[in-house]
Amino acid sequence: MSYTLATLWFDRQRYIPGVLAVAFSALLIALQCGLLLGLFSVTSIPIDRAKANIWVGPPKVLSVDVAQKMSEGKARSWLEGQPEVDIRSVEPYICKFANWTKPNGGVELCIIIGSRMNEDSLGTVPELTPELRMKLTEQDTIVVDESELERLDLKKVGDTAEILEHKVRLVGTVKGMKSIAGPYIFCSMPTARRVLRYSSDETIYVLARCHDAKDAIPVVHRLADEQRQKDEHLALSVFTKEEFSLRSRVHWLTKTKAGIALGYAALLGLMVGAVVTIQTLYGATMASMREYATLLALGIPRWRLGVTVVTQAFWIGVLGIILSWPVVFLLAEAAGLLGVKPQLPIWLLGGAAVVTLIMAIGAGSFALRAIKRIEPVNLLR
Amino acid sequence: MSEDAPVLQGINLTRSFGDGDARHFALSDVTLDLFRGQLVLLMGPSGSGKSTLLAVLSGLLRSDSGRVVASPSGESVDIWQLNNSEREAFRLKHCGFIFQGYNLFPALSARQQLEIVLRWGEGVPSREARERADDMLGLLGLAKKSQLLPSSLSGGEKQRVAIGRALIKTPQFVFADEPTSALDWAHGEQVIELLRSAAHERGSTILVVSHDHRILPFVDAVFHLEDGRLDESDGVQGKAPATAHAED
Repeated sequence: MSYTLATLWFDRQRYIPGVLAVAFSALLIALQCGLLLGLFSVTSIPIDRAKANIWVGPPKVLSVDVAQKMSEGKARSWLEGQPEVDIRSVEPYICKFANWTKPNGGVELCIIIGSRMNEDSLGTVPELTPELRMKLTEQDTIVVDESELERLDLKKVGDTAEILEHKVRLVGTVKGMKSIAGPYIFCSMPTARRVLRYSSDETIYVLARCHDAKDAIPVVHRLADEQRQKDEHLALSVFTKEEFSLRSRVHWLTKTKAGIALGYAALLGLMVGAVVTIQTLYGATMASMREYATLLALGIPRWRLGVTVVTQAFWIGVLGIILSWPVVFLLAEAAGLLGVKPQLPIWLLGGAAVVTLIMAIGAGSFALRAIKRIEPVNLLR
Repeated sequence: MSEDAPVLQGINLTRSFGDGDARHFALSDVTLDLFRGQLVLLMGPSGSGKSTLLAVLSGLLRSDSGRVVASPSGESVDIWQLNNSEREAFRLKHCGFIFQGYNLFPALSARQQLEIVLRWGEGVPSREARERADDMLGLLGLAKKSQLLPSSLSGGEKQRVAIGRALIKTPQFVFADEPTSALDWAHGEQVIELLRSAAHERGSTILVVSHDHRILPFVDAVFHLEDGRLDESDGVQGKAPATAHAED
């Protein structure tokens, strides 16, 4: 066992506050990010629940719900030219913010989700049962999540309201399709086009599916390379399902105030961790001042003692991070029971660990001032 | 044992603390020569300047005036003309220290206390450091206690480990500040015997600061310091050619 680990273990009572502070930092960062990621995964629900594995949209798409219209025919013929793509699957899809006028007045922002209603449709979410899809084939009909009824000022199936001053009628509800930005309004492509005043060639996305799902990545990369040759204002956006899902979530995470709030919360956690770790290491170093002073008298370079303090900081960081993980998963489960399920992918846990470790090592570097204060001549007074 | 030329010389050393009326001279124009293979005792009452002289001679405290000339390997060097890192390197190569407290890391075993000096100081590989530490602990009679922590060692054993830490680099100079003060005489005698054999068998020059008169029969030379001045009538013992004088 190294001298540093031996010291940490022997004097564990002294180092525990530092380890706990690092664990707290790692926990706060991972859980905050996980909660936000979980929250913003709602923004990619239309992508995640759809069966399409290739998404083609207008130029410079940032998120699934933030895009302009484009020509369906152009994108369709382009996709149908790819041998790996199942030509029969290519279909238009609309996802667009719009104003919802409540039956008794007042306006709410909503997101129109327009897709084909046939059984093998790529854009339709599985929550839309065959019965609901059948009902939606009727012109100007919609389906919403039952939890959004109150927000939309709807009371029962059959109620009517207006979207962009176009009258629509509620024909059913689904569960588990709640949104954070605005309620999802599910409808057929013809209804979506009528509400948004789009022509029969206008759409926002064209979806496709490969004969073999594994071909989606090479096809998308090939198409993206092709588009990069064009003027960026004309180049269509093309993504795999996974890429587009992540892009949509990251967009909302970084471009909204929630992302900044996350940054502050994480910074606060880091600061608490850093201050306690600095104090722990400073105190521990000062407590060993006479031993360190003896080594300095013997000619051991001061920087070598500094390395020891930073190494202690590194191990405090590692132990704190390891300690935080089971608690993170436990609290994530608890949050899930309360209806908010944090997402904790490996890259998030790894990123939180790296940031926390850098903080711990930085705290160790700050505690080096204790080493600077040690003078071996004081042992002779 | 000793050679004609001194290996460590303090020349006209003066060191004061404080300013104005509060200025106090810890050393006043002290000159002394130390020789190879000597165990030298520096005695004097509390506040006489013993520790200050040891600090100045060992390169830990700069004097106000005077020089400290060391000739560990023939070539002379004024250690206070060296810059900080050169002086640090000089101490690393040539100096060992034993302090009043044992100053052992409580988390490290006896062997590790010695290893750390070799590994951190000279970059000695771990296996070699371990072997040399074990050899030294064997010489000190601590072979069976190499894995024990300081809390499991007696006072005498701790001080022997501290001596081992000072000698592990085989330094030319060893500076010991009250090495027996915390020990009963049985253990104190062991310690002073070890220091004497280190001087006589390894050729080290060992300067011991102590109040303990029981040490007197074991040393090669004695210097008395009072009010920062060396007593010219030094009680030089035996055949050691130690010289000392205060130039008033």
